[in-house]
Parts: sequence; C-alpha cells; structure tokens
Amino acid sequence: MSRLDDLYRRVPALLMARRNLSRNKIRSGLAVLGIIIGVLAIASLGMFGTTLRTGASQQLGEIGNEITISPNFQEGIEELSERDVAEIRRVVVDSEVVAVRTDTGLVTRGQRQTVVTIYGMENPGALYEAQDGRVPDRLRQGVLVGSGTAEILDAEPGNTISIDGRTYRISAVLAEEQGISLVNPNNAVVVPVEDVNGTGYNQVIVSSESGQAANESAIAIRESLNEREERVNVFELQAITQGINQFFGILNTFLIGIGSISLVVAGVSILNVMLMSTIERRQEIGVLRAVGVQRGDVIRMILAEAGLLGVAGGVIGAILALGAGIALNSFVLDDPLATFQVVNFLYILLAVGFGIGTSVLSGLYPAWKAANERPVEALRK
Amino acid sequence: MSHIIELQHVWKRYDTGGEIVEALRDVDFHADPGEFVTVMGPSGSGKSTMLNVLGLLDTPTEGTVLLDGQDVTDLSDAEMTTQRKQFIGFIFQSFHLIPTLSALENVEVPTLFGDDPTARERATTLLERVGLGDRLHYRPDQLSGGQKQRVAVARALVNEPRILLADEPTGNLDRKTGRSVLDLFDEIRREDDVAVIAVTHDPQITEYADRTIELVDGRIQ
Repeated sequence: MSRLDDLYRRVPALLMARRNLSRNKIRSGLAVLGIIIGVLAIASLGMFGTTLRTGASQQLGEIGNEITISPNFQEGIEELSERDVAEIRRVVVDSEVVAVRTDTGLVTRGQRQTVVTIYGMENPGALYEAQDGRVPDRLRQGVLVGSGTAEILDAEPGNTISIDGRTYRISAVLAEEQGISLVNPNNAVVVPVEDVNGTGYNQVIVSSESGQAANESAIAIRESLNEREERVNVFELQAITQGINQFFGILNTFLIGIGSISLVVAGVSILNVMLMSTIERRQEIGVLRAVGVQRGDVIRMILAEAGLLGVAGGVIGAILALGAGIALNSFVLDDPLATFQVVNFLYILLAVGFGIGTSVLSGLYPAWKAANERPVEALRK
Repeated sequence: MSHIIELQHVWKRYDTGGEIVEALRDVDFHADPGEFVTVMGPSGSGKSTMLNVLGLLDTPTEGTVLLDGQDVTDLSDAEMTTQRKQFIGFIFQSFHLIPTLSALENVEVPTLFGDDPTARERATTLLERVGLGDRLHYRPDQLSGGQKQRVAVARALVNEPRILLADEPTGNLDRKTGRSVLDLFDEIRREDDVAVIAVTHDPQITEYADRTIELVDGRIQ
C-alpha cells in the first residue's frame, strides 16, 4: 500500500475530499486560482515592500551613523565657537568630528562660472572620498570640487579655478554623493577652513563608526553643551532612518491589506463552490448519514475539501510569489538573491496561512449546512 | 422469539403549512431475524415514512421504536447514527452510490470513518459474494444497473447489520435483474439471519416475502 493510501486510510475525510474535488475539475481549478491570486497578491506585495525598503536603505547609505550639530538660533546663538568644537571632540565616542564653515560664492574657470556652496573644512577626508585625485587628511591649500561643480566647470585635478577672486589648484574631484547628506558636496567646493570668512562654525558633522556610537555621541554632546542653556541643536539622521523604516512598515501593512482583499474575494468564491457542490451532493451526503457517518465526519470531509483547495492554492501561490520576488529583485535591485530574506519567507508563510485559513473558513458554512440537513429530506427524490 | 425491530402505536404527523398530514396512524409492526417482510401500498400511503422511522432516519410523533429490544425513540442524532451503523443496512431505489469512488470504496464507505482494519477484507469478500469479484475497482458509471444494486447490497452488509431496509430495491431494474437481486436478499436473510424489510410497488417481491403488509393512508390494513 502506498503512503498516500495509508494517509487516506487514516484520514478518510481526505480521500473523500480529494475524490469530490476531482469530480468537477474546472470548478475546483477556478477556486484554487482564486486562492493562488490572493496568496500571490499578499506575498508579492509584502516582498515588494521589502524590496522598496532595501532599495531605500541602500540609497540612505550610512547616514544613520552621522549626527549634525548646529547653533540654536532661538537662543541667539549664531555660530559654534572653537571651544564648542573642542568640547564636542572631547565627548564623542568612536567618531570623527568635522567642523564646517559655510558660505556661497562664484566659482570661475576660464569662461565657465557657477554659484556654489563653499564649505570650509579642516579635515574633509572624514566625510568625502575622491572620484579623481586625492582627499588630504588636512586641507591646508587647494580645493576639493564636487562632482556636479566639476562637470559645469569641466574641471579635473590639477586645474586652477578662482573662487570669489582667490585662485586655487584642484586637489581632487569628489565622488558623487548618492544618498542623503546634510553637507552634500555635489554642487559645492571644499576649501581650507581659514579661507572662509568668519571665526565660528555653522555646523559640526560627527561621523561615527556605528549607529550606536552616533547615538551615544549625540547624548554626550547634548549633556555637555546644553547643560546650562540650549546652545546647540543635535540632529541625528538616525531619527530619519527610523522614521523611514517606520514608513515602510506602514506601507507594507497597507500593501498586504490590499492583497488581503483579493483573498477575501477568493474566499467568497470558495464559499460559492463549496455551497454549490454540497447542494449538488445532497443525496450523497444523505446516504452517508444514513449508513452511519456522523455529522462531525461530514463536516470534516467538507472542511477537508475546502482545506485542500486552500493548500493547493497556497503552495502554487507561494511558488509563484517566490518567482515574482526573484524577478522584482533582479529588476529593481539587480540582485535576485535579495528575495531570500527571512522577512520575505514570513510574508509567504503569512500569505499561505491566510489562504488556507480563508478557505477553511469559507468551507464552514457549507459544511455546517450539509451536516445538519436531515437525511430524510436529502434522500427524498 | 424477540423481535429485532418493533414499532408500537407509532404516529407520524407533518405540519405542512397549517394543514396537519398524518403519514402514519397507530402503526404496530415488528420483524424477526431472518424474516423477509414487504410493505406495499399506493404512493402517499406512508410507506417511505415508515421505512424512515424503522431506519432511525426519522422520529415518530407518538409511539415507541424498539431496536433489538431497546427503546431508541428519543436518542440523539449522534446516537441514532451509531445505531444505524451498527444495526441497519440501507438499499435505495436509485442505488445512491458515490460516483467518484470505486465499487470497493463504495462498499467501504460505512466503515470509512472509524478505525476498522478488516473493512477492506470484508468489502472484498462481500463483492465476491454478490458476484462482482472482478469489478472491484470499477466506478459506478462503468457498472450496469443490476451491478450497481449489488454494490449497494454489499455496502448495506459491510457492517454486518441485523436489518436490511430496502426502498423500492427493484424499482430501477428490469424484471430479470430485479429477480437476481431478490435472490440475493433471500440468500442473505437465510445465511446471515438478517431481517429484510422492503417497501415496494413490485408484486414480484411478495413472492419472496414471508409476510406482506398493506399500508393505506398511514394505517396497516
């Protein structure tokens, strides 16, 4: 006896259910299709959300590791002093501190000219990487040109440009900043800090090795600089990334909600199919009851039918969803393997569970109705 | 000798929208093991109602049903189902086989829900006995009317009942096939000591019966 026969022997409701479903293959097939679509919708919308989130966090890069300190204008503080910067350097954890003095100015090279943001920094190497040339640890002379500015000026390392009348030699063209940054270098130039007018700093960037270090640094800075008065605003980009993560969480729930609607529709179609098929089989069920099959067994049999539809739809839907996820990820993220994340399998599991649950739930009413019909009525011709 | 089934003063009334129909009026009836009883009567005489009450498919409005000496009138649905499974085999005019199951599986149906390791063996033996040993795995649509009714007889016998209830068992069969099914009934009641109660229009059946009861307007004549 095969294993399947053995299973049928132990769970006779399954055998009956399996045979009953094969009676009208098109109808069963359509019911399964409904569940497939529902499961596919939930699972692939869930995975779609994951892909969005992964894509977004790639865009955001490591900004979670940065904090920005700016003077608190509301308290009448317009810039950060050398003492503030020194204090920040003293308290931060595992971080590099870059003090920035900002201005705007006109940059010219030959006939070309453009208005840019000018950042005065002593140690831009902590924030930027070169696309061409070299970013020195200590910027004492020369200028670093953002990629956008370099393009407008058609400039490369070694060229000279003039900024507000002062001439500089370009040390490096900076790599394009893809993500979000509070001191975006793309349309800016970076010059030695003493070349920018003023004595204080407009902001201080703290670049940490980890999100946790950034967080600890932020706390330490608040404690030491804002002890007596609110001298500075400390802005953690982590707050943004958390917000964004939260947003994607909401988006995912929303998407899955939409998917669930299709599963509800599928449930209604199963309800319809099961109701039709139990009405058609009234007499048969009456015979079953007459020959000694209990009500509970009739209910089990019909629930098994609904459950089988759900399992079939769920499994096929899960496989298709996995395929859809692979296609989506290779298209959007260029990385099909990004599909194989724990969270995606949870979505698939959730979708399959929902699918089977919906099916069984939809089978309840027909099962109850069939089991409670009096055999005498059912057997009447 | 004790009766295997007995109806005492059984009344059955239906309320059909204001009008009360009396399907059975003070029916007293009994059958003994090994006895072949036919119930005859015009349609609407209450034959089917009587068979349903005898088969524990319906409960009387008044009166008592005794099965093997026990009062089974007021049992719950689950208890009645258990009693049916244990005591009663049903045979219907239109066979009522399950079209998706093979002959063998159809015979097994009454044993299916419940742990019954020898069921397949018994079903096979029964099908061989009714002359369908070579048709075990045929589906009902591959069998003739007489063969279907034989499968139904085997199904009715699979739980080794004490009573066989047949509702127009030859109604859908030609005369010759009907006769062969009746021969089978005769053999069963003699060999297995089963009481056979058949409701019918068919005068042919009365030739086989020990007793024939006439039912008119719910009353035994």
